[in-house]
Amino acid sequence: MKELTKVHFTNLDKILYPDLEITKAQVVEYYIRIAPRMLSFLKNRTLVRTRYPDGIDKEGFYEKDSPKGSPEWVKTFTKFSETSQKDTDYVICNDVDTLLWLANLAALELHIPLSKIPKTNAPDLLLFDLDPELPAGINEAVQTTFILKELLDGLGLKSYVKNSGKKGLHIIIPLIPQYSFDETKNFVHRIGEKLASKHGFIVSERKQTNIPGKVLIDYPQNSERSTMIAPYSLRATREATVSTPLEWTELTNLNPFNYNIFNLPKRETDPWKHLFDEPQKLPKID
Amino acid sequence: MSDLQAAPSTRSIWSGRISIGLVNVPVKLYTMIKDQSFSFKLVRKDDACPLKYERVCTFDDKVIPWSDVGRAVEVRKGEFVVFTDEELQSLRPDSSKKIAINKFVPLNQVDRIFYDTSYILAPDKSDESYGLMLKAFIEKKLAGVGKFTLRTKEYPVIVYPYHDALILTTLRYGDEVVDPQSVKDIENVKDPSKEELKLALKIIDTLTRDFDIKDFKDTFREEVQKLVEKKMKGETIVVEEPKAEEVRGLMQALKETLSQMQQQ
Repeated sequence: MKELTKVHFTNLDKILYPDLEITKAQVVEYYIRIAPRMLSFLKNRTLVRTRYPDGIDKEGFYEKDSPKGSPEWVKTFTKFSETSQKDTDYVICNDVDTLLWLANLAALELHIPLSKIPKTNAPDLLLFDLDPELPAGINEAVQTTFILKELLDGLGLKSYVKNSGKKGLHIIIPLIPQYSFDETKNFVHRIGEKLASKHGFIVSERKQTNIPGKVLIDYPQNSERSTMIAPYSLRATREATVSTPLEWTELTNLNPFNYNIFNLPKRETDPWKHLFDEPQKLPKID
Repeated sequence: MSDLQAAPSTRSIWSGRISIGLVNVPVKLYTMIKDQSFSFKLVRKDDACPLKYERVCTFDDKVIPWSDVGRAVEVRKGEFVVFTDEELQSLRPDSSKKIAINKFVPLNQVDRIFYDTSYILAPDKSDESYGLMLKAFIEKKLAGVGKFTLRTKEYPVIVYPYHDALILTTLRYGDEVVDPQSVKDIENVKDPSKEELKLALKIIDTLTRDFDIKDFKDTFREEVQKLVEKKMKGETIVVEEPKAEEVRGLMQALKETLSQMQQQ
């Protein structure tokens, strides 16, 4: 055991998803199986975790700082946190051991920022966070995604889509890290406004968040302090769903529950495999 | 190296004679089966003060000395029939210093399910008669069947040659062994389908090997021994959790993932 991992597993029989009776052992195994596909998206990013030590029915907690008693071999990056107004030792997960150590801490959800260390103010990912408000749901989010993709294709931008594991969708553009978050934020905002002006069910401003039946393109998510759920991260949902990188063709018949702890390890496609291969420049838009 | 590796005892546990008809052979009995199960001493956690058992009266909680301890049978709940020492003595089997062999049978006729514990028979005083008896047993390829009283209990026994010596195996009485067919769950066993049986036979075929007792080891005892040695040297003990089934499963998954990542 020692020769395979530095992680010392504890309470593996603890149930973390009570409805489906999923144990911590199953969560750890999920992260073992998904690690080859997942790690490149965590690499050199300051991770934020939501931990559910007593299962998802009990309150979880958001964790930024490397927890007390972290092993020495866990890599950290110290950075001033705007939200907590103090220096924070963020965990950097660049290897399987760190991922499994987090899993053993019941860190079910892993959230990543849109930039890498050390240049954390230069985003290498641009995010369209599509958030449908009831009664709008996944279908409206999908419809928005297709409209958005058409526009981005027209601008010559290659985009990638994943489900959030809940009701939302994330569209990502990999960037050459030469822009500021203000630039990416404005870009997303402008596109959002364009789409909102043409399509009644799309809104671009946070103050419109609570209008029923609308899909919000949440541009402020493009900031240094914001995070998104990491590709292949579990979600603290009843069905143990996974935020899953998708083929565009999968969107036509999308049921977020179909992407979960049980079937993701067996999934053969890896639609985001080459996401970092071709970082792009932001085009001018009018 | 022999498969039998327990250290021999220096002292016999019994001495007497084997009697076959009118022939008497003086023998000693040595322990053959050495239970190596590890047992811990019970102590008080804080200061390792050793604990002892005491016989305590269930009515007044007084400790009863051995001289006041008697024996009884509970005939109904809370109702006891008490025996005096003399009564018990008269009931005990005759502990004559004798292993009485009254017939010989082929060893394989004795169902091994009745085997209880084995002892080594060694010559006492006269080597000659023991050697003669041993040779005769080996020639006839038979086991002697008889009765033998050890301490206060009488056992059916068989005496037979093994590794160029005579050994004695005590047997269980018929009413001490359960017939599997009398177990309800066994009665209801269903016949398998042909295909299932074929597959099962195939699996067994591929796993057919020679038996080797060296394949097995009581690792718990060894681990305890290692820890004891470490503790005696004053080393701090890092408690390792047992490799539960689930950990083994995870390690298998991890092996697969790591080799997959190496190939990438």
